[in-house]
Amino acid sequence: MWTRLKSLMLKDVIQFARDKTILGVVFWLYTMEVLICGYAMTFEVKDLPIAVIDHDQTVISRNLIDKFTLSEAFEVSGYPKNQEQAESWMRSGKVKYVMVIPNNFEQDLRRGESPGLQVLLDGTNSNAASLAKDYTAAIVRNFEMEFIDNPVALGSAVRPVVQIWYNRAQTLESFVVLSMIVAAIMMVGTIHSAASITREKEVGTVDQLMVTPTRVWEIFLAKTIPTLAVGILAFFPSLFIIWWFGVPIKGSMLLFLFLMAIFLVSAIAIGVLIASITKTLQQTLLLCFFGLFPILFLSGTMTPTESMPSFLQPITYLSPVKYFMDICMGVFLKGVGMAELWPAALNMAIIGAVLYIIAAWRFKHNLSS
Amino acid sequence: MKLHRLYAVMRKETREIIRDRVTLSTAFLFPIVMLFMFGYAISLEVEDVSFGVLDQDQTPSSANLIDEFTESAYFKLVRSYDSEVQIHKSMEVNEVKLVLVIPPGFNALTGRKENPEVQLLIDGTYSATALVALNYGMTIVSKFKQEQDNSLIDVQTRIWYNPSLRSIIYVVSGLYAVIIAAFPPLLTTLAIVREKESGSIQQIYASPLTVPEFLLGKLLPYGFISSLQLVSIVALGYYWFGVPFNGSLGYLLIAGGIYVFCNVGIGLLISTITNSQLLAVLLALVVTMMPSILFSGFVFPIYAMAEPVQAYTHLFPGRFFVDVSRGIILKGAGPAEMIRPLSFMLAYTLAVFFAAVVIFKKKVA
Repeated sequence: MWTRLKSLMLKDVIQFARDKTILGVVFWLYTMEVLICGYAMTFEVKDLPIAVIDHDQTVISRNLIDKFTLSEAFEVSGYPKNQEQAESWMRSGKVKYVMVIPNNFEQDLRRGESPGLQVLLDGTNSNAASLAKDYTAAIVRNFEMEFIDNPVALGSAVRPVVQIWYNRAQTLESFVVLSMIVAAIMMVGTIHSAASITREKEVGTVDQLMVTPTRVWEIFLAKTIPTLAVGILAFFPSLFIIWWFGVPIKGSMLLFLFLMAIFLVSAIAIGVLIASITKTLQQTLLLCFFGLFPILFLSGTMTPTESMPSFLQPITYLSPVKYFMDICMGVFLKGVGMAELWPAALNMAIIGAVLYIIAAWRFKHNLSS
Repeated sequence: MKLHRLYAVMRKETREIIRDRVTLSTAFLFPIVMLFMFGYAISLEVEDVSFGVLDQDQTPSSANLIDEFTESAYFKLVRSYDSEVQIHKSMEVNEVKLVLVIPPGFNALTGRKENPEVQLLIDGTYSATALVALNYGMTIVSKFKQEQDNSLIDVQTRIWYNPSLRSIIYVVSGLYAVIIAAFPPLLTTLAIVREKESGSIQQIYASPLTVPEFLLGKLLPYGFISSLQLVSIVALGYYWFGVPFNGSLGYLLIAGGIYVFCNVGIGLLISTITNSQLLAVLLALVVTMMPSILFSGFVFPIYAMAEPVQAYTHLFPGRFFVDVSRGIILKGAGPAEMIRPLSFMLAYTLAVFFAAVVIFKKKVA
C-alpha cells in the first residue's frame, strides 16, 4: 500500500515539475503578484492633487498655500483662472480638491473677522475625501497658531493623544503584502489540486489508474499530499518579498508554517470540489479564478470584513481565509502566539476537515461514475 | 475589404454565440454576479467600529465623553476595561479596533482652563479605515467641552459628487471599468483560439477572406455583446446600488463603446499570439483583469502611487475609462473635459486592432 501511494505521489510531483504553465502560475502568484500589489494597492491620502484660487494674493495667503504644498497629503497641481475652470478640472478628475481664498483674507484675519476659506472636495473616493477634510482642518489650525504666536488664546479643548499600534508608519504595504500571500496560498492550493485531477480526466489517464489495483482513497491522498508540500515550499520565495517591503515578523515562523498547512487543507479540498464539476483544464482555471476572487474579497483580503454590510458578515465566518487572515496579521504584525490564535485555528481546522471529507466523498463518486 | 464577406463572418459568429447557450448565459450572468460580489465585498465604510474604554476617572464628565462616542454612528462600545493590561490582549484578539483611555483627574481638569488629555489607541493594521476612524475619534474628543468656536478661519467645506461619502458609490462606479476589462477580452480570445485549436482556422486561411475582414467580423459581434454587458451593469448600478447618474447617457454610450472595443481588441491581440486556450485565458487575466483592478484607480488612487508606477498605469486603458465613467456618471462632465482620455482610448483601440491585423497576417502567409 505504501509503495503504491509513494509511487503515485512521485508521479504527481514529476508531473507538476514538468507542467511549465502551472509552475509559472504558482511562481507568479507567490512573488510578482505580491510585489505588484504591494506597490499598487494603496489607500493613502498622499499628493492629492489640489487647485488653488487665491483672490487675496498677499504674503499671508501665500503662506497658507505653502502650508498645503509642504504637507505630504496635498500637492498643488494648478492655479485655475476662475471658478469655472476649477470646476471643469474637478469634473475631468485633474484635481480632487479646490481651495478658494477670498478677497481681503489677510485684512479680515488681522481684524479678527474670521474670513471664510472655501474648500470644494471631490467626494467620489469617500475615504480620501474624509481624510482630506481632516487634514485641511489640521493644516488650518496649524496656520492659525503660527499666525497669532499665542496658542493659549485659542482656548482650551480636550486634547487627544494618539497611539497607533502594529503599524506605526500607517502604510498599507504590510497589510497588502501579507494578504496577497494569503491569496497566493489559497489559489495555489486550489489550482494545483484541481488542475492535477482535471488533467488526468482530460487525457483519460484516470481510467488507467482505475484499472490498476490502487484504491480510490490512495489516489485521493496522492493528489492532495503533494499539493500540500508544494504550497508550503512555494511560500519561501515570498519571504524575499516580505523582506523587500520590510514587513515585520514579530511572531513564530514555525507556528505560521504549521497553521498554513492547516489552511492549505481547506484550499486543497476546494480545489478537489472544483475538479469534480469541471471536465477540462480550461474550465477548471476559469472556475478557480472567478470562484476564488469573491471568496478572497469576502474574507477581508482586500478590505476588512468589519466594514462590509451586516448581511454579508455572517457569511464571512464560513470562510477559512478569514481566519487565516487574522492568524497572518497576528503572527507577523502583532507577534501573538497560540494562546491568542487558537479560536481562529480551531475554526479553520474544523472547516478544513469538513471540506476535506466532502471533497473525498465527491472525488470517489466522481471517479467511480 | 468587402462588406458582404465581413457580413458573412459576423453572421457565422453571431450564430455560433447564440447556439452556445452556456457561454451566452455566462457572458451575461458573470458581470452581474461580479458587480454584486465586489460591490458589496469591497467596502471602506467606517461605521460601528468596535471600541473599548478604560475609564480611570469615573466621573459624570468622563461618562459624557464615552456617551459622545457611543452615540455617534461610527463607534460601537464592546468592552470596558479595569486595567491597562487587558487592553493589549483585547487588541491582539481583534476584539476592539480603538481604545479610549480617560486618565484620572479628567473631570477636575475639564472644568478649568487647561488642556486635559485623553488617549486614543488604534489598531493600525488596516490603515485605510483605521485612519478615518481615528480622525472621527479625534474630532469627537476635540469638540468635547469646547466652549465656543474659537478658530480664526472659517473653513467652509462642500463635498461634491458623493456628499454622503458612501464608499459603495465609489466602488461600484469604478467596477464598470474592471468588469469590462475582465470578460470581453476573455470571450473574444477564446473565440479565435478555439478555432485555432480545432483547426477550423485553416478553412478561414484557405478562403478569400482578408485579415481585417476576419478580425472585424469577430470584433463587432463580441463588441456588441460586451456593450450590452456594460449597459446591464450600469443600469444595475443605478437602480440597485443607487449610484447617481448626473451626466448624459449619450456620452456614456460613446465612451463606453470605445472602451468596450478597446478591450475586445486586446482580446483579439492576445489570440493572435497564443495557440492554446489555457495560455490565452492566463494571458487575458494577467494583461487585462489584474491591471484593471490594480492600476486603473478604481479603488486605489493613482495619485498616491510612486512616480514610476503612475507612469506604468498609462499602459492600460482602464485608468482612462475610470476617469471618463466617473466623470460622466457622477460629475456630469461633458465632451470638453473628457476629450483627452477619450482620444487616448480611441488611439489605443486603433493601435491594438492594427497590431492584431499585422501579427495575424504574418501567420497566414
